Amino acid sequence: MTNARASVSDELVIRGAHLLDPASNLDSVSDVRLSAGRVTEVGKDLQGTRYLDADGLHLFPGFVDVHAHWRTPGREDEETIETGSAAAAAGGFTSVVMMPNTDPVVDKPVVVSGLVRRVENESRVRAYVSAALHEGLEGERLTEMRLLKEAGAFCVSDDGLGTQNAGVLRNAMLYAKSAHLPIILHCEDHTLATGVVHEGIAAALAGLPGSPGSAEDVATATALVLAAETGAKVHVTHVSTALSAALISFFKGRADVTADTTPHHLTLTDDLVSTLEGLYRVNPPLRPDEDRIGVGDALKSGILDFVATDHAPHAASEKDLPLEEAAPGFLGHETAFPALYTELVQSGKLSLSRLVEAMASAPGRWIGGGPYGISPGAPADLTLADLSDEWTVREDALVSRSSNSPYLGRKLATRIVGTMVGGELVHNGLGAKFGARA
Amino acid sequence: MGWFGLLTRDFLTLEDVSRGELKEVLDLARAYGAGAHAERPLADKTVCLAFFEASTRTAVSFELAARRAGADVISISEKGSAIEKGESLVDTVVTLDSLGADAIVVRHPAAGAARLAARHTGAAVINAGDGRGQHPTQALLDLYALSDRLGEFDELAGRKIAIVGDILHSRVARSVIPAFRAAGMELSLVAPDTLLPRESGAWGLPILPSVDDAIDWGADVLYTLRLQKERMTGARIPSVAEYARYYGVAERHLKSGVLVMHPGPVNRGVEISGGAVLSDSSLIPAQVASGVTVRQAVLALATGVAERMAA
Repeated sequence: MTNARASVSDELVIRGAHLLDPASNLDSVSDVRLSAGRVTEVGKDLQGTRYLDADGLHLFPGFVDVHAHWRTPGREDEETIETGSAAAAAGGFTSVVMMPNTDPVVDKPVVVSGLVRRVENESRVRAYVSAALHEGLEGERLTEMRLLKEAGAFCVSDDGLGTQNAGVLRNAMLYAKSAHLPIILHCEDHTLATGVVHEGIAAALAGLPGSPGSAEDVATATALVLAAETGAKVHVTHVSTALSAALISFFKGRADVTADTTPHHLTLTDDLVSTLEGLYRVNPPLRPDEDRIGVGDALKSGILDFVATDHAPHAASEKDLPLEEAAPGFLGHETAFPALYTELVQSGKLSLSRLVEAMASAPGRWIGGGPYGISPGAPADLTLADLSDEWTVREDALVSRSSNSPYLGRKLATRIVGTMVGGELVHNGLGAKFGARA
Repeated sequence: MGWFGLLTRDFLTLEDVSRGELKEVLDLARAYGAGAHAERPLADKTVCLAFFEASTRTAVSFELAARRAGADVISISEKGSAIEKGESLVDTVVTLDSLGADAIVVRHPAAGAARLAARHTGAAVINAGDGRGQHPTQALLDLYALSDRLGEFDELAGRKIAIVGDILHSRVARSVIPAFRAAGMELSLVAPDTLLPRESGAWGLPILPSVDDAIDWGADVLYTLRLQKERMTGARIPSVAEYARYYGVAERHLKSGVLVMHPGPVNRGVEISGGAVLSDSSLIPAQVASGVTVRQAVLALATGVAERMAA
């Protein structure tokens, strides 16, 4: 975790950027003054001791990703806290929630406290620990949620495996509620999810074993019914079907439920599996266009509250395989905003304001419990983007230790050029521009 | 407390018990405790103990109570009886009735068993614990022990008592909650949502997240419940360590002067530390000791001999 190193008298003014902050209703060119790690003023012609010229750039509240796999502990060959947080910073993310399906699983207080300590020393961005909902993510015994929380866990999750037994899930919700821990749920019914891709036309033609949309929908319905009954605070992650989004819509107001979807489910479809390349295996799988559109509409309307990347690095040895044998998962941090801007905002399907809300304000509010944006007193967690700086996604352009991005080879229309956490620049794509006029 | 028959009176539930009814039982128990039972108030009465579920202290306590008060006692339990052969509750009760029982003490694994038994006999039925339903004599002896410690029955009014632990599965909880309330006590519940009934809000009691919070709430008494072994395996409670940390009574809690009660048998180191069990703050031995006289009073009231003896 970064801390403001600047003294109180040090005042940085970011000048001339187009400020877009849905939480504060800001959408205009303004200056922002930062001091001691916080925003102190938003306005015109602000004075400071240092200046960052941001003419032509957009300034957003720092993006928040509630779903990332930094593979630590256990698979540091794929990602570490250092490289994962660098990738997050490169994608404009200032806060990230780390999922617990590591090796060992984050199911013991000592693992949580170890991660919290490592995050303090190794992460460029704010990183929150999600502990496991059940021991070993085996879906049987509850974890020591209250002790995990005391050790520093921010939430609990069954990500990667889901919870196959509804009775266990119900008790887990009741216990998490007692522990005042939000739950992030991976909704997948293993009796239905027996394939490696979506069970659709592409799978049929390619000869790949498919998992139907019901594998997600049935588990989502179960989770929502139980959330409504128990009153637990439940977040359904990586929603990928139109029906699951409709189910969530029904339960909004009946349960304390929020949901996210991923950049890849908003921009890619199962056509890609016809390549038979291991790179395109992901869970939940890429869906047909009807689902992509349905999920996109749900994000637009707010039924799906926000975007989370499910950043899932994998070694080349686990991806450069026949699709059926490849590990499921995509990199997400570095391409999230550029891909969504290119595919949805540029085509007029989603407003830039809603995209920023879905990447910053809404997940920021979910984590912090209050308004999240660029306002006096708020931490200076900020993202600077150049909306007209086209780049091509290539392995050597990625910061992550892995390179399994589904966008490899694609041209994206926009780039993140600066990311600040607590007023400190943790990703600098600005070069000499920064601090040039002290 | 059941209803009043001409001669006999059932003790099935404390759900709607009044302060006056509680006081009547406890006053009589106090009289027996002071030596009145030596007059053998239950002489010529036949008390049948029908235990369809294992029990040590309740069975022994009822048997001692009945014998010391002069009753003939017939005891049938699971082992070596028609119950083991599969005789139903109703048939057993009808048989005991035919044999001339004046009171039938029923322990059964299903809630409502005592009420069902009472419909099939003219004898007084005393509920000695039915499933997750009720355990009225436990609550009565708890009130006896606690009022003894505090000085008198009226001292209970206004005291704060926190009921800690597995309320969901506890018949003791379902009896002590209305009984403590009728005695004028202020109650709270301390349990995770996994060990509370879904509609626990119906009791209208505050639910606190830990014993530490109960002390902060100002508890005068911590009433801890037994956590069954089979509940410790991760389904509702992640671990004994976590349970003991938040729902266990430890010696540090006793500094506030709080009293500690437990219906037994105790899991030391789980719901209560060994040191707390043995401390001066513990009412646990007094609870057990109160059982005999309180059950004598209940048997006397149930069989209609109390008025005669009290006169």
